[in-house]
Amino acid sequence: MSVPSEYFVALSAVLFGLGAVGVVTRRSAILVFLSIELMLNAANLAIVAYARQWAATGGPHALQGQGAVFIVLAVAAAEVAVGLGILVAIFRYRVTTDVDELAEVRA
Amino acid sequence: MIGFLIVAALAVAGGALVITARQPVHAALGLVGTLLSVAVAYVMLDAHFLAAIQVIVYAGAVMVLFLFVIMLLNVEQQRPAARWPWLRWAAYASGLVGAVAVAATALSERRPAPDPAAVAAVLQGGSAERVGTVLFSEYLLAFHLVAVLLLTGVVAAVSLVQRAGEQPGGEAVAAFEEEPTVRASEPA
Repeated sequence: MSVPSEYFVALSAVLFGLGAVGVVTRRSAILVFLSIELMLNAANLAIVAYARQWAATGGPHALQGQGAVFIVLAVAAAEVAVGLGILVAIFRYRVTTDVDELAEVRA
Repeated sequence: MIGFLIVAALAVAGGALVITARQPVHAALGLVGTLLSVAVAYVMLDAHFLAAIQVIVYAGAVMVLFLFVIMLLNVEQQRPAARWPWLRWAAYASGLVGAVAVAATALSERRPAPDPAAVAAVLQGGSAERVGTVLFSEYLLAFHLVAVLLLTGVVAAVSLVQRAGEQPGGEAVAAFEEEPTVRASEPA
């Protein structure tokens, strides 16, 4: 027996909400980054759930959803590499990763 | 169904740890738990290749990178004095309302579970062969752009963490040139 796709979408919504709350409340930039990863994964889970639902209705291109998730994974990996590099570079000059103290970086 | 509930509980518990843990390392480990739970959910959704990639790339490589940076920067614990103390509770409330609203809407439109045989006929378990066929035919352009993006990301990361006016590998060369006699006396 299989689980209805709506349960996966609901789980995805809860995970996305947790990540969004983390982005707003965490003050260390690294933890904000972790929360963003959580949101990305929630979106991926929703895409995979929708791909399966489409396959159940006989959609011929349902595997495109899984291909899209693969590409999102690769982009997220590149984003992590660059983002953490930026964090290390900021830390060298400011010796902090607190987003409140870094707020004046904005133009 | 019971399996899904267990996975969902583990994923939400990991997510809660991400946004509440005081130690950054604990938050990272909570995210690892969430990522592994999502990988199990991928298996339930007939996406076996993505589940493997999720474990190897995300829970493996990306999280190791995160842990390295957390330990490298030695992130201090959060201090109690926030600039806007009310923001935390407003964020928790609005996040709860938003997540519950979307989840309740999705669950109220519930349909019967998809027929596993029909899903398997199309997805074929989401094997590497099937996903690879899609990636190398319809998503070929996106696939190549991802390759360029990854190369750009590597170059950007190296140039970001390199100090100004420093040659790549300069420290190692300098350390080697400083004490040639010691190295010459070492047994081969």
